[in-house]
Amino acid sequence: MRPEELIAALDEALPALLTDKVSGAAVTSLERLSGGANNETWRLVWGETPLILRRRPFSADSVADLEGNILGLSLVDEAQVIRLASSTDVPVPEIHAVFDERHPIGEAFLMGFIDGESIPQRWLADAQFEGARNKLAYQCGEALARIHTIDCSNLPASIGPTTLQRRFDAAQHRLHAFGDVSPALQFGLNWLIEHAPEDTPHVLLHGDFRTGNLLIDKHGLAGVLDWELTHQGPPAEDLGYLCAYVWRFGQLDKPVGGFGHYADLIKGYESVAGWCPDLASIRYWEVFAALSWGLVCQTMGALWHSGEGDVERAAVARRRSEAELDMLLLIDDWERP
Amino acid sequence: MTQTRNSATSAELSSDALLTAVKAFLMDNAAPNLEGRHRFNARVAANVLGIIQRERTIGPTLQALDEDALHRWLPESESKEPVQELSRALADGRITPDDTFFDYLKARQLLVSAINNPRYASRAIAEERWGV
Repeated sequence: MRPEELIAALDEALPALLTDKVSGAAVTSLERLSGGANNETWRLVWGETPLILRRRPFSADSVADLEGNILGLSLVDEAQVIRLASSTDVPVPEIHAVFDERHPIGEAFLMGFIDGESIPQRWLADAQFEGARNKLAYQCGEALARIHTIDCSNLPASIGPTTLQRRFDAAQHRLHAFGDVSPALQFGLNWLIEHAPEDTPHVLLHGDFRTGNLLIDKHGLAGVLDWELTHQGPPAEDLGYLCAYVWRFGQLDKPVGGFGHYADLIKGYESVAGWCPDLASIRYWEVFAALSWGLVCQTMGALWHSGEGDVERAAVARRRSEAELDMLLLIDDWERP
Repeated sequence: MTQTRNSATSAELSSDALLTAVKAFLMDNAAPNLEGRHRFNARVAANVLGIIQRERTIGPTLQALDEDALHRWLPESESKEPVQELSRALADGRITPDDTFFDYLKARQLLVSAINNPRYASRAIAEERWGV
C-alpha cells in the first residue's frame, strides 16, 4: 500500500473513531519507521497529535504454510493483549482503534505515541540515559512480574495453554521443515529436551521482552512494545529471553539486555511477585531463546524464498549462525565444572 | 571504503575483486544518495557481498570438516549432504553426541560465524575458548 493510499484510508476511517479521544480532522504527516520484520510501524500525526499505526502488510494466509505462529498473533489479538496489560501497571500505549484484514487500512491497530528512545544503540550508549540504565534491570523485573499476573482466562483464543513438549515438537518440526541444515540447533534442541525443567505453572508471557522492544526515557522504562509473540509459558522464560546473548547488543558482561545484572532483575521481580525463578532456570531459557532466534532466522529465509521481503530479510537468514554460536557457548558454560 | 588493488599490470579481475568493487559502490555511492529504507538496504546489501566473499575463502575448509565428520560418525553413509545427514542423525538418535562431537560442532561454528558475522560479540569468547 502506498503512503498516499494509506493516508486516504485513515482520513476516511479515523474521524468517527477518534471523536472523543484525539482532536483533529486529518492526517497531517505520515512516515514509516524502521524495524519490524513482520509488521509495518508508521508514525502519523492526526491534527497535532502523534500516533502510531501497526499494520500487517501481507495476509496471514500467505504464510500459513510456514508455521504462521512464529510470526505472532494477529494484530487484532495483539491489541487485545495490550489492553489487558494496561490494566496492570505495565507502561503500554493506549489502543485507539483496531482494524481487521477486511478493512481498507488492512489488519492494523492505532495507538498512542509514548515519548521515549526506542533505539537501543542510542540509549545503551548515551550519557543522558545513565540514570535510566542503572534502574532498568530492576524495573524490567517489576514489569515482567506484573505481566505475569494477567489473568489467562481473559486471553484471545489464539493464546491457548501449551506444554513444553508441544513446543519441543514444534521446534523439531521446523528444523525438519527447513531442511535439517543446522546440526548446532539440533544439538541444542536435544540438550534442551534432556535438561527440561519440571513443568511449572504457566503464565501469560510477553514473549519478546528484549532491549529492542523497550522504550526508555530519563526515568527508565517508559513503554513495553511489540506484543506479537505473547504466549503462555513458565515465568523464567521471559527473564531468560531478556538475558539472551543475541539481545545484549555486544555488552556481554551485562547479562540483562546489555544494560544490567541478574541480581537487580531478580530483586525487581521479587518486589512485585514475592518470589523469582532461580538463576539456573533463567539460564536454561537463555539457551531456549537462542534456539528461538535461530528458528526466526530460518523463517525469514523461507519467507524470502516465498517472495515476501527484501534484502534485509535474506540477510537475517544468515544471522542464524549467531544463534548457533550462542547455543554452543551457553551449553559449554553449563557443562563446565 | 578504501580498497587495495593488487597486480596493477593484470587486465583480469577476479570475482572477488568484482565483489569488492560492487561493495564499494553500494557503501560509498549508492547508500549516501538514498534515503530511509533504501539507504539501510544498500548497506545490508554491501554486507551480504562480504558474506559471499568470506564464504568463497572459508567454505572449502568448512566443507572438508563436515565431510570428515560424516565419515567419522556415520561411516556407512553415502550422503552428499553431510550437514543435513548429521543433523538428521542427531534428531533420530543415530548419533549420541560425546565431547568429540561437541568439539566438531564448536570448530565448525567458528568457521560458519567467520563467514556470516565475524564481528558478532560472543564470537570473541568462542574464539578465545575454542580457537586453535
